[in-house]
Amino acid sequence: MAHKQKRYALLIDSRKCIDCKSCVVACRAENGVPLAYSRNWINEEHRGAWPKLQAAFEPEQCHHCTDPACVRVCPTGASRQRPDGIVVVDDADCVGCRYCIIACPYDARFFREDRGVVEKCDLCAHRVDRGEVPACVETCPSKARVFGDLNDANGKLRDVLAKRNYRVKKPEAGTGPQIYYLL
Amino acid sequence: MCVNKCSVIAVVNNGVIQKLNPNPENPKSRSMVCARGNAGLQQVYDPSRLKRPLIRVGARGEGKWRPASWDEAFDFAAQKLSAVKEKYGPQGTLWSSTESFQEVFFQNLAQAFGSPNLVRHPSLCLASVNLAYSTTFGTVPSFDLQNARYIIMSGANRMEALAMPDSVDLIDSVSDKKARLIYLDPRFTVTASKADEWYPIRPGTDLAFILAMLNVIIGENRHDKEFVNTYCSGFDKLAEHVKPFTPDWAEAETEIPAKDIVRMAREFADAGHRAVYYAGRRSSWYQDDFQMRRGQAILNAIVGNWDRLGGMVPNAKVALGEYLFLPWDDPKAPRVDEVEKNFPLANKGDGSYLKLRENVLAGTPYPVKAWMIHKQDPVNSLPDQAKTLRMIEQMDFVGVIDIQMSDTAWFADVIFPESTYLERQDPIEVMSGIWPVVVYRQPVIKPLHDTKPTLDIAQGLAKRLNLSQYFDYTIEQWVEAQAKELPLQMPLEHLKKHGVYVPPGSPKYGTTLNSEHRFVTKSGKIDLYSERLQEAGYDPLPVYRQPAQPPPGRFRLILGRKAYFTHGNTTNNPWLNAFAPENHLWLHPSSADALNISDGDKIEVASNVGTVRLKARVTQEIRPDCVFMLHGFGKRSKWQRLVAGVGAADTQLLETAWDKVSGNAAMHETFVKVRKV
Amino acid sequence: MKTIEWGFLIINYLFLGGLSAGLLFVSALATLIQKNAETDYTRIGRYGAMLAPWPVMLGCLLLVFDMGHWYRFYKLFLHFRWLSPMSIGSWLLMAFSSVSVVYFYSWLEAEQRERLFSLLPRRLRFLHFLNRDLTAWRRPLALFGLPLAISVGIYTGVLLGAVQSRPFWNTNLVAQMFLFSALSTGCAALILGLLWKSKELQAGEIRSLYLLDICFLFLEFFIVLPYVIHGQLSVQAVRDSLQLILGGPFTFVFWVFFLGCGLLLPLAIELWETVPALLSNATNHYGKQLAALSALLVLGGGFLLRYVFVFAGQMSSFK
Repeated sequence: MAHKQKRYALLIDSRKCIDCKSCVVACRAENGVPLAYSRNWINEEHRGAWPKLQAAFEPEQCHHCTDPACVRVCPTGASRQRPDGIVVVDDADCVGCRYCIIACPYDARFFREDRGVVEKCDLCAHRVDRGEVPACVETCPSKARVFGDLNDANGKLRDVLAKRNYRVKKPEAGTGPQIYYLL
Repeated sequence: MCVNKCSVIAVVNNGVIQKLNPNPENPKSRSMVCARGNAGLQQVYDPSRLKRPLIRVGARGEGKWRPASWDEAFDFAAQKLSAVKEKYGPQGTLWSSTESFQEVFFQNLAQAFGSPNLVRHPSLCLASVNLAYSTTFGTVPSFDLQNARYIIMSGANRMEALAMPDSVDLIDSVSDKKARLIYLDPRFTVTASKADEWYPIRPGTDLAFILAMLNVIIGENRHDKEFVNTYCSGFDKLAEHVKPFTPDWAEAETEIPAKDIVRMAREFADAGHRAVYYAGRRSSWYQDDFQMRRGQAILNAIVGNWDRLGGMVPNAKVALGEYLFLPWDDPKAPRVDEVEKNFPLANKGDGSYLKLRENVLAGTPYPVKAWMIHKQDPVNSLPDQAKTLRMIEQMDFVGVIDIQMSDTAWFADVIFPESTYLERQDPIEVMSGIWPVVVYRQPVIKPLHDTKPTLDIAQGLAKRLNLSQYFDYTIEQWVEAQAKELPLQMPLEHLKKHGVYVPPGSPKYGTTLNSEHRFVTKSGKIDLYSERLQEAGYDPLPVYRQPAQPPPGRFRLILGRKAYFTHGNTTNNPWLNAFAPENHLWLHPSSADALNISDGDKIEVASNVGTVRLKARVTQEIRPDCVFMLHGFGKRSKWQRLVAGVGAADTQLLETAWDKVSGNAAMHETFVKVRKV
Repeated sequence: MKTIEWGFLIINYLFLGGLSAGLLFVSALATLIQKNAETDYTRIGRYGAMLAPWPVMLGCLLLVFDMGHWYRFYKLFLHFRWLSPMSIGSWLLMAFSSVSVVYFYSWLEAEQRERLFSLLPRRLRFLHFLNRDLTAWRRPLALFGLPLAISVGIYTGVLLGAVQSRPFWNTNLVAQMFLFSALSTGCAALILGLLWKSKELQAGEIRSLYLLDICFLFLEFFIVLPYVIHGQLSVQAVRDSLQLILGGPFTFVFWVFFLGCGLLLPLAIELWETVPALLSNATNHYGKQLAALSALLVLGGGFLLRYVFVFAGQMSSFK
């Protein structure tokens, strides 16, 4: 039987996000990210006028796009996309020109001054390759995040995306982001 | 990292903890690890941790220490404790602790020493709600938020004050629209943002809302009559009692529209067994808090949600074995907080912390001259910090067992550094609840520094106090005795491998809903009307008293939580501190405008007992008559570099007050003045 | 997290790269146009050739040191990724530098060559075989250099323009804008070079450079104008990004210093100096001060264009 190519993506139900920052700390611990940087973050929006107030929280990180601008502009190919869709940075080839940081519509990348290379969320590829889910997904108290294979017709992602409306962020940038935010 | 003690699996490489992953086998922790749990390893590798015993040189609070050997520290402490015992009797020593898995050894030492004065955290936290529910139901139940369909919460900001499994279940039920959440809070918290309806209720008036709910439900005959007839006592008196508390009356008190109160009462009753008025956890709010929680309990009772799916469920437990150590005699002297006299219904073991402090300061009924503290920071955590510091001044001896240099350790005479939870073997614990679980905590690395678990510290002190015979066992022996009772082939092996033991058969609903069951109450049924309260001289049914309002120009100071801090002891953790490097005073824009204060301005906040300075946060997310500040800042301990002198300590402002029935601290009764500086 | 990654090192590199491109272009043009050995354009050709290699090399040095791992710069030449403007640019710069150095060499006089080779240490004397007269190579190199110069001039704009996530940059006008600015700075540098070297201005030279620069400045102006006008008529993200120069922090610098002082003022000076003479067919005496002023203004304008674009671009985004 032909082995179908996996395409990993994240599904986030922001309604469940309570801005507890568990994902931020879990990522920091799992990937050794120094305090000065963050591979993921929570966007907050506070609206309304007293006493009709609203607040919404939206986790975000690298969207592992289908047409990643960061991969396209990289002069050495250090920024590359795995067949399973995960966009990674090969440290050995990164010269630190930071073109990719500028090219990312989501400002998901950052430059590690201490290491001279660019870094970002890599969906905990080392965990995924062991059959686990990314640290942020595992740790979330609200279970607001779902990680899965878009190409798996019977998988959780396709199941939810078939039932629920969703949106992606900044589609007009044209990079084909793969974090699906449930509406 | 907090009371929930979620189960984690540590990833250790070359003897260094890399990561703490959730242990999916613990049903209570719902396969997650929050920000604090993830930051746990920073507690181990904190460079400013306590690394060896310290003895004070210089004056208390100067922060001058010299390292000492364990022998020297034990000798010193034991000698001081003995001296106090000599002169004032063992009751002249106070032993205060906050729940931990090794707390039992500290408490045993206190009792073996002969002191009746053990005080813990409940009378700063949940003593009033627990007493209210146990007075009504004979026990304190858990709430099945996973299956409830209509949930009303007074405060209980579960989405920031994480309590497991309640928080996770609530988020799940509410965001998937399985349950409807009505949330009352003077502050627009994260829970408010997720609730179906949020009412910025006037502080202290929740009982008015509850009485009006009762008024409508009973008046319209919507209560569960069968349940009430079978299992409750005193309904007729209750029905009569709530007649005057109309929704219109409640609207004037609470600022919640009467028509909404009526609607919610009907919706609540219609949801029947799956409607809950959530009890809350920290109930240290007002001097009448107990009665408000009683009102809640009664409201829960009459819709019949007791011991049902989606309702309140009595906690299931698991029986553990016990290590049979030599028993000691009961202490001869009564408690210094005279809890039997002052709060006859309160839990005698827990006492009333604030009343205790008052008595100690006054030297009545007898002097208390030595204070041993385990895993607690009274200086930073008790309201009215000035009084706590005066209490310390009166002590001949202050000894602290802690992991970091807390504000209380900062004022101690000797500090015993404890190993962190990741470095020590703890007794087996049962987490009771709707999904009870037995948890096993084993060390994942060897202690990094010269630290000891509390059992070893207790044994070290016991040796010099001639109490060794009560502590002649190892933690392994203790644990083995506990494990023996578990219905497993090889219990310890199972626990070592899985970290938890989950007894089969939960959740169980309806175990008490039979004619044989006798509720542990005066009537043997659910006490709607409580004769026990009446006999003790308290209102047998909740009587509403209008709370004092802040005088003009003042604001009520209210407290609350953020999901990434655990009260006061994690604000110095760099991974968590990054989210809020300082605390601010929340002010509504109209209040701020009147005082000419802009967002970020430095302001001075003054109460009757203290004055502090911090920055203002001007936000719509709080009632104009209230102000709010986060706990755990403005520390005195200079070792907590990130928060020493940063922001302000709420406890410097909070005035001493307590709930009349339970003796629980009342921390929302302080009115403060604010001005720009 | 939005950060400004590229700063003054990159701004200077873009300016210097454009300057070299402009110098080479004008020199090559002069070389190709002239019919016989002694015309007005010889000095332009020579001076352009002498100056062209150096700014871009300095710029490349700045570029390399801006990198996180400067010693890995060679990796840029292990790959050719035609979708990455930076990759193409690296190779282009390599080609441009090589060609412009040989072109420079081809314009050296015999004594200059001798002097150069006499500086060689004894060990490297064997390199004397390179001491050849490459005068004949001038025209072919100029022919080759012209498109290279245009490419380098355009590529600095493409580098920015190709970034779809930065609405301030992502227009099809940016490449040309940078190109004509670069060519214009080349003219200006040559004017300054000539002023430096000679006591008297040769009317023919200055007139040619002025006329060339006027063309470039006009072209640049009529690219900047539609950039702003059409940008304001474009999608929200583009309009939002233009706010940075229409009320935002770069407004004053853009309109007063770049457009006003760096483009329109030198254009006016140059028109003033050339048009009346053209119309009345009189011979003109070109003022040295005015020449220096207009050249300096153009150079300043070229720098400021890149300054505004590099910073403003990184501050723009899709919301």
